[in-house]
This record gives sequence, C-alpha cells and structure tokens, in this order.
Amino acid sequence: MFAQFFGAYLLNKEAVTRDQLSEAIQKLSDARIKLGTLAMHQSLMTASEVDEVCFIQTREDKRFGEIAVSRGYLTDSQVDSLLKAQTPDYLLLGQNLVDIGALSNTDLERLMSEYQSETAIDDMSIENNDKSVELIHTFFKISGQHVNDETILYMNLLFNDLIRFVGSDFTPLAPVALEDYPIDFCVTQKVTGQMNIESRMDMGRDAAIQFASRYAKMDFSEFDEYVTASLEDFLNLHNGLFSVNMSNQASMELILEPPYEESGDLLMLPKNSFMLPVIFPFGTVSLILSFY
Amino acid sequence: MGAEKLTILVCDDSILARKQLKDVIYATAPDAEIFDAANGQEAVDKYKELNPDVIFLDIVMPVKDGITAVKEISEYDEDAEIIIVSSTGTQTQLKNAIEAGARDFIQKPFSATQVEKVLRSRIQGE
Repeated sequence: MFAQFFGAYLLNKEAVTRDQLSEAIQKLSDARIKLGTLAMHQSLMTASEVDEVCFIQTREDKRFGEIAVSRGYLTDSQVDSLLKAQTPDYLLLGQNLVDIGALSNTDLERLMSEYQSETAIDDMSIENNDKSVELIHTFFKISGQHVNDETILYMNLLFNDLIRFVGSDFTPLAPVALEDYPIDFCVTQKVTGQMNIESRMDMGRDAAIQFASRYAKMDFSEFDEYVTASLEDFLNLHNGLFSVNMSNQASMELILEPPYEESGDLLMLPKNSFMLPVIFPFGTVSLILSFY
Repeated sequence: MGAEKLTILVCDDSILARKQLKDVIYATAPDAEIFDAANGQEAVDKYKELNPDVIFLDIVMPVKDGITAVKEISEYDEDAEIIIVSSTGTQTQLKNAIEAGARDFIQKPFSATQVEKVLRSRIQGE
C-alpha cells in the first residue's frame, strides 16, 4: 500500500500533478525497477552519482552496474544483491515519475526520505499490516483529521479490499470533514452494533461501469442493475469482512443492513463524517464514511 | 452429478451474486433446474412451492434476513439442505445459522471449487 500513499503524499506536497501521477500509475504494471533507483533507495548511491552513471550510459554501451562498479560507487556483491532485491511498488512509482519528467532523481531522493521520516517507518522495502496501519494513521494526521483506532482498521481493510478486488492503480486524496453531501449516484450500507458506520461510495455513471467491470470481472458497457449490484456487493463484502475482523479481534459483534442506492439528494450526514476521494484511471470514487 | 434432475434455489438480494452462483452451479450440474429468490420471504415462499434439493441463501437481505428464513424453512422441512453464502462469516453468525438449521456455510467471496465441493457433498454425501 506504500505506492498508493506515497502518491497521496506527493500530491499533498504539490510535488506532482494529478495527471502526472495518473500517468505514472498507469505505467506501473509494465515498469521494471532500475538498479540506480534501487541503489539510491538503499542509500548505496546518491542522486547525483545515479545521474552521472545514467549520463555515462548515454555515451558508453555498458550496463548501469558495470559503470557504477568501475567508478567505485558500488561493489560487485552490492550489484548482485540489488539485482536480487524485491522491488517496493512505491519505488517503481517514483521511478516512473522521474521517467516522465515530473521529478528529478534529487527530488525523488529527498521526497522518499521526507516521506519515510513522516511515516516513521524504518524499512519500506517490506510491507505488512502494521506498517499499512501506520501509513493510514499518518495519512489522516497529515490531513488534519482525528480518527479513532477502529476507523483506521476499517480504512486499512477498505484500501486492501480496493487493491484486492478492484485494482492497485489508485491514489487516495486527503479526507475532508463533511456535514452534508450532494450525491450523484451512490450505494450505501449501514452497520450497527457496538459501533455504527454509514458507508457510501459515490461516483459518476461511467466510473461506476468501470469499477463494476473490474470487481465482477465482467465487461459491462452500460449503467444497469448489474453495475449497481456490483457496487453494492463490493460494499457488502468489505463491511462483511470488517465485521468478521472485529468479531475475531475485538469480540465486537456488528450487524449489516442490506445495501441500497441513493441518488439526486443532498445527504445530511451524522457527526464524524468525512469524504475521501480515491482517484482511479477511470475516474474518482468518493468514499463517504461516518463513524459514530 | 447423478442422472436425476436437481432443483436448486438461489436466494440473494444481489442480482450479480445470484448470477455468479448460478454460473458455478450450472458448471457443476448442467442439467439442474435453478430458481431465484431476492429476499428471505421469497426464499421461504419458493421453497414451499418448489421443494428444492438444495437452497443457497445469503444472510444480509431486505424484507426477511437469511437466518430467519433458515429457521422458517427448517420448521417446514427438517431435512432441508440449506447452504449459507455470506460475507458476514463471524463465529456468532455461523453458530446462529447452524442452530437455525443450515447445513453448510460458504464465505464470500466464494470460489467455484468451494461451491462445487459443498454442492457435491450435499447431493451425494461425499
């Protein structure tokens, strides 16, 4: 989940534009990490050393590793271990942003370091659940939203479910506190019990068709009852999995109400509501959530 | 599956979930006659009308929830082969479903293999 939140961090810092980020995200599936980006990430080379080796590569037909070793920036064994290293997604995203000219290697080195420092995560090469929770905590903190631990757990699962069932090519934008919201088309599900949740997903009809196609693994071409059912199923599945987690981890029993559609109204929301837009290449999905 | 034609009732308020489940069932039992219900009350009514061999039932549904429907179907037919298919697979829900009369539980998102395995075991006692 580092890639999604690193993207959100870059937007928040106005280091890149939405279009640049979107272009870099779309290239993620085809991209392969470069040795220089990885060496910089592991603090084996500085950004200027990487730039120098890249410049030499334009004049000499040699591999990056060979030049770096000949210049004394890396040893042969360091090159070997870098070639075997696992590539974190957020690093690939950063590299893509350098490739399309949105960032320089120096910018990327600085922003990665600042991001790592703000999230207080030492090793970003390995992702796990605790680190995801920490990322989401930081994400809300940077956005000035104070949320409780259950909300963080809910959001952690929601982002993981988006990755698992819809796709990892998204960036969450900063959450905004809300009292009311003019809906376009949204699906809603309420959860009651030891905590109350109102969960909504609002999006345009074209985005809904694409979201549903990905979730249901079907090729929808028009906005129909299958599209609506797909969105409701996603919400129901996510809330169902959250209720299982809360039951197992906190002995908290939650009751799900059937999901339903809402459209064309001004929604009056309970206290502690926020809207969190999530940008996919096919459009923006607004998550409207209330915890009380 | 055996030569005898199976009658199966699929109950879920989501038209997509019903379609996905029916596709998997047809792949396992191509000659089965499959009927739909979109809420717990419809499931009870159609069960009494059709007396299906197996019923797949969601829990979270409008009008009448799945657990209440399981109780009513079990009272009508104590041998009913009821399979719950739900995303809310907590221990409590599982216990409630089994106590109400459900024979099996499939957690959503389900795989074709899971549905096939449960269907075969209910029909053939495998």
